[in-house]
Amino acid sequence: MNSLIKLELTRALRNRKFLFFSVIYPSVLFLIIAGNADGTTRVDGTGLTLPTYMMVSMASFGALTAVLMGNSERIAKERESGWVRQLRLTTLPGRGYVLAKTASAAVVSLPSIVIVFVVAAAVKDVRLDAWQWLALTGAIWAGSLVFAALGVAIGYLAGGDAVRPITMLTYFGLSMLGGLWMPTTTFPSWLQDIAEWLPTHAYAALGQAIEQSRAPHVQDLAILAVSFALFAGGAAWLYRKDTLKA
Amino acid sequence: MTTTAGTPTTPTPSPTPVVGFDEVSKTYGNVRAVDGLTLTLRPGETVALLGPNGAGKSTTLDLLLGLKHPDSGTVRLFGTTPREAIVAGRVGAMLQSGGLMDEVTVAELVRLACDLHPKPYRPSDVLARAGIGQLADRKVDKLSGGQAQRVRFALATAGDSDLIVLDEPTTGMDVTTRQGFWATMREQADQGRTVLFATHYLEEADAIADRVLVLHRGRLLADGTAAEIKAKAGARRISFDLGDGRIDEAPLRALPFLTSIDVSGQTVRIQSSDADATVHALYGLGLYPRNLEVAGLGLEQAFVAITAAEEAKSK
Repeated sequence: MNSLIKLELTRALRNRKFLFFSVIYPSVLFLIIAGNADGTTRVDGTGLTLPTYMMVSMASFGALTAVLMGNSERIAKERESGWVRQLRLTTLPGRGYVLAKTASAAVVSLPSIVIVFVVAAAVKDVRLDAWQWLALTGAIWAGSLVFAALGVAIGYLAGGDAVRPITMLTYFGLSMLGGLWMPTTTFPSWLQDIAEWLPTHAYAALGQAIEQSRAPHVQDLAILAVSFALFAGGAAWLYRKDTLKA
Repeated sequence: MTTTAGTPTTPTPSPTPVVGFDEVSKTYGNVRAVDGLTLTLRPGETVALLGPNGAGKSTTLDLLLGLKHPDSGTVRLFGTTPREAIVAGRVGAMLQSGGLMDEVTVAELVRLACDLHPKPYRPSDVLARAGIGQLADRKVDKLSGGQAQRVRFALATAGDSDLIVLDEPTTGMDVTTRQGFWATMREQADQGRTVLFATHYLEEADAIADRVLVLHRGRLLADGTAAEIKAKAGARRISFDLGDGRIDEAPLRALPFLTSIDVSGQTVRIQSSDADATVHALYGLGLYPRNLEVAGLGLEQAFVAITAAEEAKSK
């Protein structure tokens, strides 16, 4: 399976468009959004400056892009082309294909997180304790697994034509409504009530809790855990259905 | 020898069959894609699975490889389940619908196949044997149909498997490439492997296989050497017009080697297993056939001829 991970990774690193959107784009977006903030304006109710707050949002957004965008479309396409069937004629265990896809996405998502941090620290003077940097990297990286599972589920749910619009809708919907592009505190209150229940909101809230040096809300942890169970369970169910259909 | 009642007689041990289908059926909706198929392949055989489109060839291979599960009956490879045989590295297969990973090079893909095989060959050898050494650095999505087929073949032969399964391997190849590819396939067989390939080219079966299975509507219609099948399918079609008045069918029906006859208006259509003799006898009747045509049967029609013969036999 390692050889498949390696090859998936080689392929991902060769795809400039994918690399731009998952590794460079979040940092660019961070600079655009936080660029004019003077570092003293606080985001309502968090005590965090806008650059500090947005740094976590954009790192989460980058990780989300890396694990969601590439995989769902690839899986749908490779199911249609028959590559998935061909792999089933090898010693690769059934779930090996999905695991290799997830693992290679996770490798790409790490630099997208770290680059946002580096840019935030260098350009916008975001300062945190060493343990916070480490915990942030770990939490955002691990949390991205929730959305990796979602990407796999979409890849098995949709066919070649439908997969792109569905992925886009999910991706933009979750990013925007979850408050990855702007603090949800700027939303009208009815929208805030919805946003609060989105896994992307809980995902970013996890990082922001670390920045505030406090324990994360139980609700956010629960939302992430339930989302992961739903997405991974759905992916597993759809995968099994697809395998039986062959 | 004294035996207690019920002691089974031990049969002489025969080598484990490479492939064993026992009363295997698979239905999609109302269509019986595979219908009570029983067959055994022995080590070292080169077997063609011949049949028109829709005969159940691909479904048969999917069942054989464990990609589909039979509704009833059992499929065994080397005495185990298909999956176990694949995991043990005993089977290499190339699917008609087997897509390839894109955005990687041919060499990278072949290396992956070698890495995944328990008894791998060296990637450079696999490339050379499949005749794609010069394509090693080409991106997989930039291949022609015939080249892609060769890459699939390389994936199927990445290691020392005992059984090679190829589903319509020469699809998308022109005549010259096809013949070059047959040599590649024969090499696999010469190494003592069992090779099973599906095809709808009678010629291909003839060139490579030492055993031909004819599949029609999911059932095994004929099982024999290429020569036997060809003789069976070698029926010819004779058509001619007879002038003026009503045609007396009785003497026509009595023509030698005639397998079927159809008279409509002044036109007579006959199928014969020996056209020369039939036409000779036709003139012997003192008739003067006009617009006489003698043509070989296409494979599709040959199948119909075989089916008709089979059904007549069973009556």
